[in-house]
Amino acid sequence: MLYREAGDFKTTYREDNQTFPIKSERVLFWAAMAVAFLVVPFFVNSYWEKSVLVPLLVWSLVALGLNILTGYCGQVSLGTGAFMAVGAFACYKLMTAFPGLNIFFVVILSGGVTAVVGMLFGLPSLRIKGFYLAVATLAAQFFLVWVFNKFAWFYNYSASGQITAPQREIFGVIVTGPNAAPWATYLFCLTILFLFAWLARNLTRGRIGRSWMAIRDMDIAAEIIGVDPLRTKLSAFAVSSFFIGVGGALFFSVYLGAAEVTEAFGIDKSFLALFMVIIGGLGSVLGSFLGAAFLVLMPVLLKNIFVGSLGWPTDVAAHIQIMLIGGLIVFFLIVEPHGLAQLWRLTKEKLRLWPFPY
Amino acid sequence: MNVHVREDMERHVLRADDGIVMGEDLLKVDHISLSFGGVKAITDISFDIKKGEIRAIIGPNGAGKTSMLNVINGFYHPQEGTITFRGKRRRRVRPYETAREGIARTFQNIALFKGMSTLDNIMTGRITLQKRNMFWHGLWTGPAEREEIEHREAVERIIDFLEIEHIRKTPVGRLPYGLQKRVELGRALAAEPALLLLDEPMAGMNLEEKEDMSRFILDVNQQYGTTIALIEHDMGVVMDLSDRVVVLDYGRKIGDGTPDEVRNNKDVIDAYLGVPHE
Repeated sequence: MLYREAGDFKTTYREDNQTFPIKSERVLFWAAMAVAFLVVPFFVNSYWEKSVLVPLLVWSLVALGLNILTGYCGQVSLGTGAFMAVGAFACYKLMTAFPGLNIFFVVILSGGVTAVVGMLFGLPSLRIKGFYLAVATLAAQFFLVWVFNKFAWFYNYSASGQITAPQREIFGVIVTGPNAAPWATYLFCLTILFLFAWLARNLTRGRIGRSWMAIRDMDIAAEIIGVDPLRTKLSAFAVSSFFIGVGGALFFSVYLGAAEVTEAFGIDKSFLALFMVIIGGLGSVLGSFLGAAFLVLMPVLLKNIFVGSLGWPTDVAAHIQIMLIGGLIVFFLIVEPHGLAQLWRLTKEKLRLWPFPY
Repeated sequence: MNVHVREDMERHVLRADDGIVMGEDLLKVDHISLSFGGVKAITDISFDIKKGEIRAIIGPNGAGKTSMLNVINGFYHPQEGTITFRGKRRRRVRPYETAREGIARTFQNIALFKGMSTLDNIMTGRITLQKRNMFWHGLWTGPAEREEIEHREAVERIIDFLEIEHIRKTPVGRLPYGLQKRVELGRALAAEPALLLLDEPMAGMNLEEKEDMSRFILDVNQQYGTTIALIEHDMGVVMDLSDRVVVLDYGRKIGDGTPDEVRNNKDVIDAYLGVPHE
């Protein structure tokens, strides 16, 4: 009864193009947004902020960025960790060089810097494809991390080699540094994620998104139809890196507070982001969120069950948790290779006809 | 002919108004030679395609027909010879540039974008006509949305023309072969091309599907005034549809003329058509 399209007629192409074509979907979406923006900030505490909500938001943004490149444009990248590092270091340098600049603009500018670097490392994609491109982006991962370690200018010659986020405010509310309130950092990340998700949806629904998908599905036919492969691939690299850079800037300035490049932005982060995108669903905005939620929330949940409820020793719990998550990834990939987003799509198809099977 | 098609025709005639009168050369291929290493795919071929006609390219397998289309497309670059399109001698171009000049194409093996719906596939055909940049697309509401809807209207006319309304939102991977071929034709038509290259549009079809496809090709040619170059092995179809035929064999041109001339050409009979058993 809740999910019906009967009687919901579309009379214009504009209505037909809606993000949520069915009314109950729209209601559900805006209700969820209202809860996220207006209710959650009043109840969020430090634990929820640091181990659940902020990492979820930041990783969703990173997964969204990678999904544009890998899911929509079909270019496999293993350089996500390094592009996050570019965002983080750009953010740090901008914060320390221009203390008066609003943190919101610092974060956006960091994304811009990352977009330029991403385009540079996207250049090989014109010549190499698939696994070979993945290896080429792996070079970006190792090269950039090495650069940020090697040249002390990037971490302002600090003795520890760490970068530490100074305190910054928006409208008088502290959002970075140790004194930031949980609700403030949460709302800051949520607002940015909301804006970027909207942007991602807009870019993927029209001409730009279609040219990315054309390159992904059949690059030769795409070129013969009039898609310029160089521009299209580079634009995907730029937009994707922009998202990932903003994610990296938030990851460092809001979530970690202090970071050391090899530890915070290693190859494991690249793989984590890629897993999120694959498990969530390639070529789906929703999939990025589902994948990030799965890989961020599941460990927290399992840890709470094993250590909190069952009282197991932490080391045993940690190992079993890794095994279980690995097992779940395999399980989900076998059940639905197109990811959680496809599972959701199938559920909707079923719901549409429920309670009748056909 | 319904109102939409007529409107579309008028718009199309305006777009294709490049000073070339019906019946004059739209494309001229002069002494083209193409080889891959030591293998000669095309040797010294010349022919022309006149505006408004249906020009068939026939010949046995490996004669160089598809290579010829790839040369016209800008996908292969011939070692010798020149190509003149719309009165301009063409320099070395990339395929997406020929698309912008008004050459659209379908493929021998279906080359649709499998992850997209029928609608999105045909919308992709209009990529060269859409102008709004990434900034406007990021905002969506406003110019980008208006442009998308404008092109959606044009695409809906093509969907209407090809009678594929019912599969508008179906992912093309799920469609049967005959419909996929039709969607591919739709995608090429969406670009409003001056020259439409069809590489075996009827391969693997049953009689009914062939009849449908022939009707669409004739309609495109007559209603939209689109010039068509066609590769096809079904001689009945070729002789019925085309105005003029060029015959290739082993990379050389062995015949050129109206269907009747070609049918009675001795070289063509020896190389390709053969003699019917008494």
